[in-house]
Amino acid sequence: MKLKLGVFIPELLRHLFKRPSTVSYPFEKLNLPKDFRGTPVLRPELCIVCKSCVRDCPAFAIEIETLSEEEKKYRMTIHNDRCIHCAQCVESCPTGALYMNDEYEIATDSRRKLKIEYIYTRPKKAAQKHSEK
Amino acid sequence: MKRITIPIGPQHPALKEPISLRMTIEGEVIKDADVRLGYNHRGIEKLAESKTYIQNIYLMERICGICSHSHTTCYVQGVEALCELEVPRRGLFIRALVCELERIHSHYLWLGVAAHEAGFDSLFMYTWRDREVVMDLLEIISGNRVHYAINTIGGVRRDLNEIQKEKILEGVEFLKKRMEYYTNLGTTEPSFVGRVSGVGILPEEKAMALCAVGPTLRASRIASDIRKDDPYGAYGEFPFEVCTADTCDVLGRVVVRVKETIESLNIVEYIIRNLPEGEIKVKAPRRIKEGEVVSRYEAPRGENIHYIKSNGTDKPERLKVRAPTLANYPATIEMLKNGFVADIPLIFAAIDPCICCAERFVEIIDERKGSRGIMTMAEIKRKFKKPEIKKDFVWPL
Amino acid sequence: MAIIKELVYLLVYPGMLFLFLYSTFCEWFDRKLYARLQNRIGPAYTGRFGILQPVADFFKLLFKEDIVPEKADRVIFSSLPVIGLATVVSAGLYLPLWNFDLRAPGFNSFQGDIIVVLYLLSLPTLILFLAGWHSTNFFSTLGGVRVLTMLFGYEVPLFLAVLSPAVVADSWRLAEIANFYQQFPFLLAFQIIGFFVAVVALQAKLERTPFDIPHAETEIVGGTFTEYSGKKLAFFRLMTDIEMVVGSGLMATVFMAGFSGSVLPSLLIFVLKTLIVISILSLIRATFSRIRVDQMVVFSWKYLTPLAVLQLLISIIVKGIIG
Repeated sequence: MKLKLGVFIPELLRHLFKRPSTVSYPFEKLNLPKDFRGTPVLRPELCIVCKSCVRDCPAFAIEIETLSEEEKKYRMTIHNDRCIHCAQCVESCPTGALYMNDEYEIATDSRRKLKIEYIYTRPKKAAQKHSEK
Repeated sequence: MKRITIPIGPQHPALKEPISLRMTIEGEVIKDADVRLGYNHRGIEKLAESKTYIQNIYLMERICGICSHSHTTCYVQGVEALCELEVPRRGLFIRALVCELERIHSHYLWLGVAAHEAGFDSLFMYTWRDREVVMDLLEIISGNRVHYAINTIGGVRRDLNEIQKEKILEGVEFLKKRMEYYTNLGTTEPSFVGRVSGVGILPEEKAMALCAVGPTLRASRIASDIRKDDPYGAYGEFPFEVCTADTCDVLGRVVVRVKETIESLNIVEYIIRNLPEGEIKVKAPRRIKEGEVVSRYEAPRGENIHYIKSNGTDKPERLKVRAPTLANYPATIEMLKNGFVADIPLIFAAIDPCICCAERFVEIIDERKGSRGIMTMAEIKRKFKKPEIKKDFVWPL
Repeated sequence: MAIIKELVYLLVYPGMLFLFLYSTFCEWFDRKLYARLQNRIGPAYTGRFGILQPVADFFKLLFKEDIVPEKADRVIFSSLPVIGLATVVSAGLYLPLWNFDLRAPGFNSFQGDIIVVLYLLSLPTLILFLAGWHSTNFFSTLGGVRVLTMLFGYEVPLFLAVLSPAVVADSWRLAEIANFYQQFPFLLAFQIIGFFVAVVALQAKLERTPFDIPHAETEIVGGTFTEYSGKKLAFFRLMTDIEMVVGSGLMATVFMAGFSGSVLPSLLIFVLKTLIVISILSLIRATFSRIRVDQMVVFSWKYLTPLAVLQLLISIIVKGIIG
């Protein structure tokens, strides 16, 4: 190996007249790839309340409560503060009711604001349609 | 000359994570070194016992931010061996692809860190800028930059399409060119070479005796790589060489990592060009058959070992992780002795320490007697029970 | 009238105010250039192009919590930053910028002022050593020892290199040296080795990469500055900045024929020439990695000092031919 003094200088000077590669973040943003894993979102009309997302979530971030047994009314709470954005719920969901959007700037000053609630009735027809498929 | 002990850590600019290195120095020369762990213990192994196998994938991922894929692959391989699943070839190839991209990103990151520890901030900035390319590739493949979450028991979760393949090939070409430039730079820039060559010598016999792993071991002339010695996944099919260096010092470790990155880039190219068609995963049972397994994996930092014991339920009975950094600590002490104070950050960074990876157990050291050992909770309770205070106690002096 | 002129000279130009403003500008320039060499943006948000960033940093530090270690000597620990600042500012007064008469030596321009400037520029090194020593912290002490060790390396080549143009000009007065080279600019071509030796030594004096050994953050945390915070740290940072301006001003005077003309043209020439020197310093900072203290001493005695001696020999020969 031969040592060369100032071997880095050409590279440095070349970049002096180039655009900086830094992106000044809050003002300009990079494009997100297509299947980015952001925040989990529920499509309530597709949920059949099988609770496989609740069972598989590694962060215990999804809760489903029964509000009324007769009306088939349920409440799903996604605790986005606990969510680790692994998208296992999307994987586990048999009907495709959950998906990840591309929201990543979710910081707030309170944990409560990160809680997302869905109150919905279990749609019989839609669910049957999907299970037939 | 008077000997003084200086504390490097648990809070120190050279360390990105908390660990305590106590250096006994004479002037600028290190006479003795001591490593103390336990500042970042998170109880992951215990937590793993209360989660299902699926949930544990994501827990294993969070052992470490840089080798997140290594830990999940190691774990998933173990579980697959337990329930005798045959992973489809395409799944194995994509898994290996992410492995190699992760190795590339880890080595780029390491090169930057090593340059920063040596005060070479320009190289640090350039390597980290180029590392963004491989990070973006990983984001395209898996949907996230750090925790890829691409492994699942029985295969991988996401498939590759043609656009992604093209982008990966483009990125690989760019990274190869850059890495060749850094190879040239890192081995010819006089001030950098002056800092790293002849520093932190670890002779071959010592490296073997102290059970060093990964690039640290390979820089001491020993060609040991789990991918070659005990091929897992699809690694039996890939053509690649095990890179070694014969200088046994930090320069050797730089050279090994740089060469390895180029090998990894070649493997990525091979995988993309020879990606087999077919399924990417098979369905895995929720309950895993009773048994125990040891899974080995070549992480960017060295050999990673997971031990999984199953009792037939959907949760593991015991999960033990031996991260590569832990195996490198004894060798680090050896390397530090008789070095200069100025070399501490470089030598320590040369093993690519991941401190949170290695925080696995508690060792109890009796400072007065000098004895050390691992104890069970019951023993600790017995030994350190508060002595009962006698009521009419008279102070002996 | 004369008193007002002297007061303006001491407090405004080229005294305190000018040195403060210009040194913050130089720090910004250095940071921006360093960032652009590394393909970064550098300071960007405070003022236009981040030009006020060093000023903002300075005032922010002024209002930060100020801690004196319990075991440290309070008086020495607190007075060192002020003394350091005073020495570099008074060194700045001797640069032949304004308010001097070439024919009549005054209190700010006289035979031997080049030695005074070099001496005043050496004092901050000793002050840094004392600061490290009095901080009663292992890291600071190590930093202080490194400061002194380095001093023995770079001081001799710096003096030899800076004095060799003076040998050719046959004067120990900065204004006369500058004037001499304005008349015979081609003689500067013989000082090129000395210029580079002096710039490298200046880099070491300013403790910048590759010679940032005394406050190498990955090794000994903040080095000499480990225990300093708040106002005192602000003064130390300002001291280093002004030292950079004065040092590069000295280089510009002895190796680049100084600054001629009335107030405004001389100021413009001063800015241009110091910025050239600072650009070279930034390029050196970006090109190399930090070296060890033993390597630094070996380097300066093996390469820098012989080069400086060679420069002195060339100067003497040139002097013999033209004299």
